[in-house]
Amino acid sequence: MNAFPRCDGVLRRDILRVGGLSALGLGLPGFFRVQRANAATTESSIKSNAKACILIWLDGGPSHLETFDPKPHAPAEVRGPLRTVPTQLAGIHISECLPQTATCLDKVTLIRSMTSPLGEHNFGTHYLMTGYKPTPVLEYPAFGSVVAQTRKPQDILPANIAVPNFRVGGSNLTGHGYLAPEWRPFSVGSDPARADFQVRDLDLYKGLDLRRLDRRRDFVAALDRFGGLAEKYSTADPDLERAFRLIASAKAKQAFQLDAESDRTRSRYGRKTIGQSCLLARRLVERGVPFVTVNDRGWDTHENLYTRLKEGYAGAPVGVGLIPSLDLALSALIEDLENRGMLQETLIVVMGEFGRTPKLNTAGGRDHWPRAFSVLLAGGGVPGGQVIGATDAVGESPADRPVTPGDLAATIYKLLGVDPATELVTNDGRPVRVTDHRSRVIQEIVG
Amino acid sequence: MPHLNRQRWILVAAIGSQLAYPLVAAQPVDFDTEIMPIFTKAGCNTGACHGAAVGRGGFRLSLYGSDAMFDHRSIVSDLEGRRINLAEPNRSLLLRKSTETIEHGGGARLDLDGQAVERLRQWIREGANRQTTYRLVELTVSPTAYVAHMHETVLLRASASFSDATQADVTIWTVFSAEDPTAVEIDDAGRATLRRQGRHLVIARYLDRVLPIELIVPWDDSVAEAELKLGRDESQFIDGLVDAKIATLGLQPAATVTDQAFLRRVKLDLIGRLPTVEEVALLGQQSAPLDRNLLVDELLQSSEFVDYWTWQIASLLRIRPRPEDHTGALTYHHWLREQIRTATPYDQLVRQLLLSTGDTHEVGPANFYRTVRGPREQAELTSELFMGSRLRCANCHNHPLDRWTQDDYHGLAAIFARIQQDRVITESVRGDVSNPRTGEPAIPRIPGERYLNISDGRKALANWLTDVSNPYFAKAIVNRLWKSVMGRGLVEPTDDMRPTNPATHPILLQRLAEDFVQHNYDLRHTLRRIVTSQAYARGRLAGSTHGDNVRFFAQAHVRPLPAEVLADAISDVTGIVDRYGDTPAGTRAIHLVDPTVKSDALDLLGRCSREETCETPTPTGGLPLKLHVLNGDLVNRKLADSDGYLALALKSRRSTSEIVNEFYVRALSRQPRPEESEFWRAALDVNLADRTGAFEDFLWSLIACREFQTNH
Repeated sequence: MNAFPRCDGVLRRDILRVGGLSALGLGLPGFFRVQRANAATTESSIKSNAKACILIWLDGGPSHLETFDPKPHAPAEVRGPLRTVPTQLAGIHISECLPQTATCLDKVTLIRSMTSPLGEHNFGTHYLMTGYKPTPVLEYPAFGSVVAQTRKPQDILPANIAVPNFRVGGSNLTGHGYLAPEWRPFSVGSDPARADFQVRDLDLYKGLDLRRLDRRRDFVAALDRFGGLAEKYSTADPDLERAFRLIASAKAKQAFQLDAESDRTRSRYGRKTIGQSCLLARRLVERGVPFVTVNDRGWDTHENLYTRLKEGYAGAPVGVGLIPSLDLALSALIEDLENRGMLQETLIVVMGEFGRTPKLNTAGGRDHWPRAFSVLLAGGGVPGGQVIGATDAVGESPADRPVTPGDLAATIYKLLGVDPATELVTNDGRPVRVTDHRSRVIQEIVG
Repeated sequence: MPHLNRQRWILVAAIGSQLAYPLVAAQPVDFDTEIMPIFTKAGCNTGACHGAAVGRGGFRLSLYGSDAMFDHRSIVSDLEGRRINLAEPNRSLLLRKSTETIEHGGGARLDLDGQAVERLRQWIREGANRQTTYRLVELTVSPTAYVAHMHETVLLRASASFSDATQADVTIWTVFSAEDPTAVEIDDAGRATLRRQGRHLVIARYLDRVLPIELIVPWDDSVAEAELKLGRDESQFIDGLVDAKIATLGLQPAATVTDQAFLRRVKLDLIGRLPTVEEVALLGQQSAPLDRNLLVDELLQSSEFVDYWTWQIASLLRIRPRPEDHTGALTYHHWLREQIRTATPYDQLVRQLLLSTGDTHEVGPANFYRTVRGPREQAELTSELFMGSRLRCANCHNHPLDRWTQDDYHGLAAIFARIQQDRVITESVRGDVSNPRTGEPAIPRIPGERYLNISDGRKALANWLTDVSNPYFAKAIVNRLWKSVMGRGLVEPTDDMRPTNPATHPILLQRLAEDFVQHNYDLRHTLRRIVTSQAYARGRLAGSTHGDNVRFFAQAHVRPLPAEVLADAISDVTGIVDRYGDTPAGTRAIHLVDPTVKSDALDLLGRCSREETCETPTPTGGLPLKLHVLNGDLVNRKLADSDGYLALALKSRRSTSEIVNEFYVRALSRQPRPEESEFWRAALDVNLADRTGAFEDFLWSLIACREFQTNH
């Protein structure tokens, strides 16, 4: 069947190549195959620590007042129903629902002075996930897609994976923006917390074998060539190509086998979706996947925030709500990565699209509040034990050191070894910086 | 001249003549029309600053200056009047903050020596009053459209007419914002410099008015406008307008597609099906070219058209069963199909929806009032469906990009406030929604028009919407029809029509809407108009690199088949149908009343569940779909089925090339070209030992290839 030449130059034996691990060894030059107009940027000037990023996305907009920026001395309608716990850092308290996280703040940088003007889910999500405010003329790519595309040549496992899915900010974000669709996040599609969790359609259909898979690949490539409808950036359908390679690699597919983890480990992460998703994220990163989005939904707490954030269900004896579940998952992830010697090279980002209103509303919830919120960063070369910025007495506005989502984006890129001034090219040929030219790297993090 | 840059003219009527005299400082500075624009221009009243719902730094202005009375009070009375110092205007907090003479979180917004500060100072000196003696009547901009060279600078001007018959050049008080700031650079004086080829939009904002300006740098100056075909039949207005735009943009339109390609395209667009083997064969046998108009007429009269457009409109109306009650949706769906079948004029169809009452198990259109819950949600649904307008932004504040106010939003909701949204739709005597602006029950209101004091607000709304002069109703639906067959609306998104989001072809949209109304709101008529145009029949351009070719219809828009259409097409090509839930055998995906009936395939293909609008589809496809196409049931089960077309063909002992031909026609609606025949002979004949497997893989690849999965 080798009579049919492959247009992308990928050798046939590649499908039998062991998946994953080689990406960890992928050197710096691989990160920078993108076109860069900024000639002043030299590769040696870029310090890269993090090889991978796990973004824990708290979809809906987590309350900063109930998580990382509580106001225990404010009036009751601001303070809210939750108490606080002290942390390893003197004078820094966080939510009572984050006791385990409180013990690892020495490994964390907390930004308490995030600020954005965009208080609508789609807009806020676009801004936080891309570093650009949305405009009607261009959809910008989210971090995962930019990182994936800058790390060509890709491996067998997708370079940008969402667990369980990428339904964020009202589902209107494709993720890949102006980049080719092949860089959109791969949604594993089912919930890792379920006993029967598996990624659908990874195993060969009955009667199929690798030889036939190969033949199908050649046939469809020929038809796309004959049809003249191939996208201009590649002749072979890149998603189909990745599907072939993934199905063919037993080793790569092992990444998704959560039941290979011990019961103890699984419990340590917490049995909720966010916990098992973080565990899966660790398995993926371990195998060389450079970007994983853990999407935790339900943080849009307009009403009854006490039950949803703390208890999980009304009257729960032990809180199993969103924040205790985050606490288990996040602290387990930090601990696990550290034990495996991977924390230095794995950046963890915890954020949502905005914060919540300083005053509780009449339904016992809080509404959208983009003017002030918190973001947590850990690993990947981020200094530990640091709190950047602060809000005013009621958590309404940054009191000092305002940080925009654009600044955060520049910092995340910098940590991942992507120069924020890198220019990517849209499919109509225009160069666009990966971050807005007004964005500034947060010097306290990337010194 | 104490008033800088204020060229005001007053018309004095005299017996027998009208003379214009320059007005010299006779009037004090007017707050509403001369002070308010300063805050908008300097960005003080945006949502990120003092325009936020809670203000900023204790100072609150109405969003984009929508409420002058509120702003005047905020500036003059609040904070115990400390923002204004009548004795010493320069010491007013308003001036000291905005010029950052003292610390200001927003930085220096105004230049201490500039005209804005001079005007503010003058206004304070005169007493910081607000006397509404006249108001803005009309804003005009020039140019409204302009064809420029690359790097040319165009001077944008704005001029305002007021109710006292005065006019003023308000350019420097107008905000000009480019949709794409990298394409058009604009300075404070309104000088716009073009930095990119193509068509660009600039939005001019002055007081509560917004106007679009279109600036074009042609892609290719050498394309001669002379090629425009003049003297076209009036019925061909579509091509006249589309071609004019193509010429202005310097684009080269693609050639018309072959009859074979047209047959496939128009069948998919009008009835959601591929051409049959017989139709393709017939086309090959005829020596005369296809009578495309005749074909279109036949399709429009077919029962498949009724099915497909029932599905289209049902998706638009979001018809779906309730968890405990499937009967309502069935009744609704059945009613809709009858309206499509009997060609009920669209205005009549919508009137029935709006005016319905009764048992939703018996009265189909009454289910319209069970689509969403609550009067505000009903107002949002109604405005999006029938006005193509997102009134929802005006729930919490006046719409910043459109004309809608909170009074409009809550007034429309008030029309629906008395409807009891239970199984039986009734109208009770009480029920209201409160207007958060006033804290009082909202007064029923036709948006942007008038308050209603009659009890039957729904009738007034229906009359207004379906009046021939309604500016929204016809445009909203013809834009959707256009999108359905052309792949892209003249306005995108189709439920967000507003002055700041103008059509790519405004006159065309207007003409299509008028033509639709003149032809009795007939959906088939407008579809016929569009699919019989040259613009519809265009092919593709080789090596096209920019989006304007597609945006302005110089070439065909290649688009994926809708989930349900693709699922049905896979069944048609293989001869094996899917079963959906407990629906009868042979039920096509397009026939499904319940958009949530269990089907992994339809989920992966990206069907719309109709819980939210189907007009902004969620991104799907990608790797999960490809994995399913390769390894899932969707295709694999049908390939190997012993009742399938492939099994029959292989049993029939026909030659390889005959079988290849058959499935090319079934899937791609065309014969293989010589090089393709050659390829398949080489690929399939060498696999005699595994002939079945090889043919299955051949048919699989036909279904997986782009040519099959798109309408092109």
